[in-house]
Amino acid sequence: MTVANLLSRISMSRLVVHAPAFIVLWLLLSRLNVALDPLYSYYLALVAMYATAMLGMVILVGLSGQVSLGNGALMAVGGYVFALTSLNWQTVPFFGWPWNGTWSMVFAAIGGLIVGLIIGLLGARLQGPYLAGLTLGIAVGVPAIANRFPDVLGGSQGFKLTVPYPEGGYASEPAQSETTGVSDEAALDEALGLAPGDDGGGSASAVPEPSVDSGDLLTLDDVQGGASAVPEPSVDSGDLLTLDDVQGGASAVPEPSVPPVPSEVAGIPGATDAGASTLDAATGTGLVLEQWQASLAVAVACIAGFVALNLVRGRQGQMWRAVRDDPVAAALVGIAPGATKVSAFVVSSVFAALAGAVFAQILTYVGPGAFGIGLSLSLLVGVILGGRSSLVGAVIGAVLIVGLPEVVSGLAGDRGWPDQVANNVPNLAYGLLLVLVVLAAPGGIVGTAREWWARRRGRPTPS
Amino acid sequence: MLAISHLTVDYGSARALDDLSMDVPRGEVTAVIGANGAGKSTLLRTLAGLVKPTSGSATLDGAEIIGHRPEDIVRLGLSLVPEGRSTVPELTVDENLRLGGLWRSRADRSSRQEELYGLFPVLADRRHLRADTLSGGERQQLAIGRALMSGPECLLLDEPSLGLAPLIVTQILELVRGLAIEKNLAVLLVEQNAVTALRAAHTAVVLNLGKVVMSGAASEIAAREELRHAYLGY
Amino acid sequence: MSTFLDYALGGVGPGTVVALLALALVLTWRSTRIVNFAQVGQAMFTTFIALAIQELTGSWVLALAGAMVAGAVLGLFVQVLVLRPVRRSDTSGAIIATFGVLIVLQSLAAMIWGGDPQSFPTPVSNAGIEVGDRVWPISPYDLLILGTAAVLVVALTLLFTRTGVGLAMRATAFNPEVARLSGVRVGRMLGLGWALAGLVGAVAGVLVAPSATLSPNSYDILLVFAFTAAVVGGLDSLVGAVFFGVMTGVILGLVTGYSDSSSAPVAVLVLLAANLWLKPEGFFGRGKARVV
Repeated sequence: MTVANLLSRISMSRLVVHAPAFIVLWLLLSRLNVALDPLYSYYLALVAMYATAMLGMVILVGLSGQVSLGNGALMAVGGYVFALTSLNWQTVPFFGWPWNGTWSMVFAAIGGLIVGLIIGLLGARLQGPYLAGLTLGIAVGVPAIANRFPDVLGGSQGFKLTVPYPEGGYASEPAQSETTGVSDEAALDEALGLAPGDDGGGSASAVPEPSVDSGDLLTLDDVQGGASAVPEPSVDSGDLLTLDDVQGGASAVPEPSVPPVPSEVAGIPGATDAGASTLDAATGTGLVLEQWQASLAVAVACIAGFVALNLVRGRQGQMWRAVRDDPVAAALVGIAPGATKVSAFVVSSVFAALAGAVFAQILTYVGPGAFGIGLSLSLLVGVILGGRSSLVGAVIGAVLIVGLPEVVSGLAGDRGWPDQVANNVPNLAYGLLLVLVVLAAPGGIVGTAREWWARRRGRPTPS
Repeated sequence: MLAISHLTVDYGSARALDDLSMDVPRGEVTAVIGANGAGKSTLLRTLAGLVKPTSGSATLDGAEIIGHRPEDIVRLGLSLVPEGRSTVPELTVDENLRLGGLWRSRADRSSRQEELYGLFPVLADRRHLRADTLSGGERQQLAIGRALMSGPECLLLDEPSLGLAPLIVTQILELVRGLAIEKNLAVLLVEQNAVTALRAAHTAVVLNLGKVVMSGAASEIAAREELRHAYLGY
Repeated sequence: MSTFLDYALGGVGPGTVVALLALALVLTWRSTRIVNFAQVGQAMFTTFIALAIQELTGSWVLALAGAMVAGAVLGLFVQVLVLRPVRRSDTSGAIIATFGVLIVLQSLAAMIWGGDPQSFPTPVSNAGIEVGDRVWPISPYDLLILGTAAVLVVALTLLFTRTGVGLAMRATAFNPEVARLSGVRVGRMLGLGWALAGLVGAVAGVLVAPSATLSPNSYDILLVFAFTAAVVGGLDSLVGAVFFGVMTGVILGLVTGYSDSSSAPVAVLVLLAANLWLKPEGFFGRGKARVV
């Protein structure tokens, strides 16, 4: 496979057409980012991060027809590589580009590529259930690897990382915000989207967490206290996410155009200055932490979307679909089915790794708990619900995954359901929706919409 | 008697059987011949319940068989020996036969099995061996045996000669003809190999594009076939 | 050497449980060509039911029996409601649907019984047996596990080889069309296959409960072990599932003994990876695993 060969799979004209669209998208989202309350920036960051990973899942599951539970583990690879390299590489400049984390992102992508290649070579050429089972094993095994090498990888506690923010730092003083006087734990809970009082132990994870008791054969050290299938790292907020570092104080936003907003993440007593400089109006970014995180996530997502769209609409996408639908016929026209399936796996792995690196920066933490099997299942649920063969479906899926638990918890709270029930309603909904979608609407939201639209116009539906 | 009436089968927009009507009397072998794609296999599979017709009916001694599931049609007295892989290679000869008679009573089953072993001595020799150790001809005998185990009134055979040496084919078809007469079965035999089929059959029906284009005594049709062979070489 | 033996023998009990779960996976694979990833969820759910029965009646035997019935019903339920309607051509869909069922079962269990780990009592002692002056790593409970599993496997073998139903099920698995044409009610055979698998899984769930502290997610690691055992043995092979299930237990015992418990899933993963690379159809398998 030569470079020329690879390049021939990307149409230059298509790139030219798509690029401005994505630039516009990026600009719009960035504007939205700074215009909104930092809490919404947090959600935007999550959605963008999930969308990046789900774009990869759409390529893998939808276009290439391979069910994989391993993308959460691949996100872990990206996250851990990013964290480990950013500890040591922060000061190495990336060809003049101001952001110190770029090298680490590159390494994260490479890490994803390598691991994805290995897994893909092992499983992608086999029948469906084999790959699913293998990736399931990987999803469960990755947290265990972290436990196995606690010194290097931080063990089950994981480790914090400092976000490689651009020079100028970000605001640390709760200058004008209203401190609501709530306890810092509650404020942190709220910032992380956890229900108040939820220490992460209430709900069942939507998937296998190795449960505990060292010394017992069929169990493992507890890696997490029952994380939900949704984004928050279920950690004892008291222990792991210590608040020594600056964790995004309220805004003291220098730009006059942005009105000071009372940040929901109220001033956290005890927040010291660990290295963060106070805001410099002239050279600083002027963003609070959540906004910066969102801008990173959005940028990565836009780039990912751009690459994905070009791959999908081009020859590579056709090859993926051809092998999915009829490997024998594809082989007869000169497409190597095995290599094609592996390529889809590798591409999705790179996307996952990048998303994982972004995730690590959103959480400012990596640990096995954040990347458990619940994460993999969320990705799968998101793409199936959104539309497994559609890139737009990936974005919709990301919105669903981030938004649904909030909505459902809100409803459950209104009706006064006990925590035990309320915490698990999102997962139950996910499971039921998965089954229903497969049975009744295999194309997900976007797929069903497309079919309906095509039927109205009397045309055959695209796949 | 198997009476087929105005049977129409469509695969999507392609019509495989077009308003087909014919009778398959008991005690005789009726051959269905015709070119590839003429609809012969479709006819058998529809009668056996594997394919759903667009319209039409078929009755076996008065009882309607269209619209039932294959497993129920067997209980109504119709047995199909499908084309190709019609035995279960992983099971033994004995198990294959037992399978055919599973829905009957045990006593029924064992007496039938013994009878079949008498009819097909080759199978008796290999009764505890796996079916995939049998040769092609032996496997075809096993397939027929399996179908006979359910004690059918009507036996359908889909291209039994496929892949078999001519001598074996003749033997098997002669056996089938004998069975039809002895047990008063209605036998519907579908064959690509027209010459062989016509020799074994009493009556023949020629299909083309899902329609009956010729029917009559097998010997008469054979004469016309030979004519075509002679002049056109096919 | 005695430590080696200790570790290995200590793994036989858990290995037997894995063997039963692997057996359940093979049963559903053989009958419907689907790997039932929800199997451990079913086992977990029925074990909770068993616990409730146990607490109500004080009888372990009744609890086991109840679990078996619940397991069969649940297995049938899942096959008829969820997997049967999936189009045969949609293999991805079938896999996804089983994960959906798994999630549903786990959420329901958490809602009904809560997320906290519960303990399950053992009917006989769980301590190592003393023979001579040595305490062996096998306890009376381990023997109970082995005995129960052995009875189950023998019963299944007899069912498949000696009975008409067993023959019908095997024929359905090997050649559904010929089975149909022989008058076998194929739909019922598929449901029966899943019911049996559910029953076997339920037994495994009850047997493993005392050592694995029961909670909605605690059985999920078993899925990886069972799947590996089933694949290494060959997804088509009942014998392979049982044999490699026990072997997996022994390997886990050795790995956990010489290393520590976090190495266990890694070791199993390596085993699975090696198997998929070298011999994906498994040791006793005869199907085709590699497609492209």
